[in-house]
Amino acid sequence: MIAFLIKRLFHALLVMFVISVIAFAIQDNLGDPIQQMVGQSVPESERAELREELGLNDPMLTQYLRFAGNAARFDFGYSYVFNQPTTAVIARHLPATLELVAASTFLIIALSIPIGVYSAIKPRAWLTRFFMSVSIVGISIPVFLTAIVLIQIFAIGVSWSPFPADTGWGTWLNDALSTDGGMPAYGRGNPVHVFGTWDTNFASLEGLTYLVLPAISLASIMLPLFIRLIRAEMLEVLQSDYVKFARAKGISMRRVYFLHALKNTMLPVITVGGVQIGTLVAYTILTETVFQWPGMGLMFLNAIERSDIPLIVTYLMIVGLIFVITNTVVDLIYGLVNPTVKLTGKPA
Amino acid sequence: MTDSSHTSSTNTPSAGTSSASAAALPALPGRWERFRDSYLLYSFKRDVIAQLSLLVFIALVAIAAFAPWLSPMNPYDLAQIDILSSELPPFWIDGSDPAYLLGTDAQGRDMLSTILYGARVSLIIGFGAVALQAVIGVSFGLMAGYLGGRVDAFLMRLADIQLSFSTLMVAIIVGALVKAIFGSATFSTYAVPLLVVIIGLAEWPQYARTVRASVLAERSKEYVDAARVMGLRSKRIMFRHVLPNTLSPIFVISTVQIANAIISEAALSFLGLGMPETHPSLGSLIKAGFDYIQSGSWWITLIPGAVLVILVLSINLLGDWLRDVMNPRLYKG
Amino acid sequence: MALLEVNHLDVHFALRKGDVHALRDINFTLERGERLGIVGESGAGKSVAAFALLNLIAKPGFIAGGEVNFEGKTLNTMSERRLRKVRGNRISMIFQDPMMTLNPVLSIGEQMIECLKAHRRITSKRARAIALDKLHQVQIPSPETRLAQYPHELSGGMRQRVIIAIALLLDPDIIIADEPTTALDVTIQAEIMALLLNLCEQHNVGLILITHDLGVVSQVTQRMLVMYAGRVIEQGPTREIINDPQHPYTQGLINALPQMATPGEQLNQIPGSMPSLDNLPSGCAFHPRCGFVERADGTTRRACIDEVPGFVTSGNCQAACHMVAEMVDDRRLKEESL
Repeated sequence: MIAFLIKRLFHALLVMFVISVIAFAIQDNLGDPIQQMVGQSVPESERAELREELGLNDPMLTQYLRFAGNAARFDFGYSYVFNQPTTAVIARHLPATLELVAASTFLIIALSIPIGVYSAIKPRAWLTRFFMSVSIVGISIPVFLTAIVLIQIFAIGVSWSPFPADTGWGTWLNDALSTDGGMPAYGRGNPVHVFGTWDTNFASLEGLTYLVLPAISLASIMLPLFIRLIRAEMLEVLQSDYVKFARAKGISMRRVYFLHALKNTMLPVITVGGVQIGTLVAYTILTETVFQWPGMGLMFLNAIERSDIPLIVTYLMIVGLIFVITNTVVDLIYGLVNPTVKLTGKPA
Repeated sequence: MTDSSHTSSTNTPSAGTSSASAAALPALPGRWERFRDSYLLYSFKRDVIAQLSLLVFIALVAIAAFAPWLSPMNPYDLAQIDILSSELPPFWIDGSDPAYLLGTDAQGRDMLSTILYGARVSLIIGFGAVALQAVIGVSFGLMAGYLGGRVDAFLMRLADIQLSFSTLMVAIIVGALVKAIFGSATFSTYAVPLLVVIIGLAEWPQYARTVRASVLAERSKEYVDAARVMGLRSKRIMFRHVLPNTLSPIFVISTVQIANAIISEAALSFLGLGMPETHPSLGSLIKAGFDYIQSGSWWITLIPGAVLVILVLSINLLGDWLRDVMNPRLYKG
Repeated sequence: MALLEVNHLDVHFALRKGDVHALRDINFTLERGERLGIVGESGAGKSVAAFALLNLIAKPGFIAGGEVNFEGKTLNTMSERRLRKVRGNRISMIFQDPMMTLNPVLSIGEQMIECLKAHRRITSKRARAIALDKLHQVQIPSPETRLAQYPHELSGGMRQRVIIAIALLLDPDIIIADEPTTALDVTIQAEIMALLLNLCEQHNVGLILITHDLGVVSQVTQRMLVMYAGRVIEQGPTREIINDPQHPYTQGLINALPQMATPGEQLNQIPGSMPSLDNLPSGCAFHPRCGFVERADGTTRRACIDEVPGFVTSGNCQAACHMVAEMVDDRRLKEESL
């Protein structure tokens, strides 16, 4: 167990090192902190002095070490735009993103497991075919488009009249297919304050309504993937000898499906799911843009637009850290759940 | 009761027959005959969805390729735009103008034309990016798989880190950096090749990994040893002998990668890190149109969206079919 | 009435190109405590027959006709719920590869105790005790530690012992063993087989042993049937069939044993190979490989090529062979004329 953690720690440090080098390279080459700090009217001689004082003329290695040292203490400098420590800016925006991701993850898990298992057990049912068709369409719709469509249907409202409006049944069908909209689709509404920088949408019904559309949008990309993955793995597991043997022992089908089969199915799903965390962060950026959800993604995009280099660099480092932590946690969970893996890192 | 006179095994070949049959060997089937009889074609003919997808895909590519000739007007010629006809709805809704089949956007540009041009840009970038990532990925994969050792470890480490960030994230970061370095104006001018490079750089790990896996599998086969014994150089062995055997998986992932590239480009454009509004792709069109959705002009954003979805869907369906054909091992009930 | 009766069992596989008949008209019985061997080449249908007994054939296979009767009740028309009461409880199965048979993510204990709890209302403690007792019976050292272990932590031989223990958990009437030693090291095969035989004798458990190994069949079973291309072609007491096989295929099988060959000469083979089930020859499925289609006087036995042979009784054995039928007829004629 210890050996496993040390190995992962080493790997994590390696990844953070690479990211920090890239981040430092960006910081060094793209921004002129002097410019940002003092503006145009300050004469060149003063600037040169300031440069010397801040150590901007030191050799690259020294500057990098300084950068890395500060980074380890979570000091990334000040944001150009907000004139606050970048970590403070990020801390303000982080809870919004985390809540969004949490809501989506909950939706994904709650929906993909039952649907995936069902479509593996009854591959020919019309409901399965329906889910599979919807999945492949879902994969083909980029997340921002799903968001826009959801906004149109649930926030703005659609009115169809494909059926003749002068008949009773026509009007009824038209009404059934139309919506009035009304769901909130901009920002977080009024989240309830918890402590520090954490305001939550989960504490009130109103807060939840603001969370619904963004969470569904974000889930819409991962959901088809997970459904297909669970279905494929389960189909393979259902053909294995040990499932046949369990049946030959007279075990009830429910236990066969949900213990014997599902446990084996979820193992590769955990691994693949963990890898998908990375994609989720990217999709968060897209989703937050559409809904103007004030999270890290929107902050990052604005930072790019305004060339707020320190904030960009900090964001990259934090995101890198999140990846590394989640990947390690996923590996750990996998190692704990799968009895054939000893946590020394070597398969049994 | 046993009758012991059962026939003994006939192992001794009759020596006289071989010379007589040598002259009557049938000709080996040519490439075309082999394709015609192949399982690929057989399976394709029986799968309606695959046929439909291929049809739709080819139709879209053809229409997009001939956009300058097919579209009713040139949406980027300022002389042809009439601000008075802005925000007109598509033809099946009241208030439309028959000259503008799919309606107009906020500047009065014809939607049909912008979509045709937009699809063209999306496809060019999609194919270009995939070509680039294939070249990089396949080369790296071959090197990693064949040369092994440090080269392999380094390349695969790099690929792993890039993949763990997810290719979309990498594309966004690289896109943001490129835009910051070159500035908005230069970026817009050279957007197409820049996007090809950005997406190509972001997605090469997929190809590299696939090819490397194939190479490692092939490497242990005997024909590679035979080639080496004959004195062929590594590069020649890699390209002339090992590569053709790794083509099948490359083929399969290419369809998915084209779909991914188109979506990545759309995502980048939607974020403002892609094609500018003066020369938009489908993604930029969606972005531009989004602002007008509140005022009820949904077609400005949703029709380009629909075209994007149909395009990507047809590619994904084809990819699914191709994967089923290449790996028909699972009995799916 | 026998404990187990199989009458006219037909199993088909519904493939895209049409139905393939995997088993045709299988008939046999098993008395209480009796040990029956089912022998044949790979693809002859032995495993299919085994799975058919408990209606466990995977789709696209299905039982197309006939019946499997256990204690007078027809198993193949029973509801799943009732059939589940028989599986693992009255009739157990042992599969071929112990590594694939045990679920890798569940402990041995879990897999044993769930079997007990599925069929009896007992406490976990009592179930554990029974499991330990059975593990003891199959001679597994330190059974208490085994319960908490996972399949990959045991050797192949021990896994198969565990599976035998699971098969015995509920004191079944019949054990169906499908090639129980094929996947094991040669050195352990004899041990496991001896253990199985011992336990069956001790507890008076019936055994249906499916194997391609004639040596094992001759040591363990009392009666045997020989399968070829989905049909039974010979059946009877094991000793008699081994010593004096009637059907040319059985003769070929026995002659192919290394101990039947003359030292220094080639081993005896049956020429050709078993036909695939979707492309069977007309008449007797064995006729293309049979040396007895032509009589001693040079004439051809048309029946071999045209008709599927029915069973002919010769002594205690039955064989499905036209040549044997002719010989039996000849003998009867001779006896009548005396």
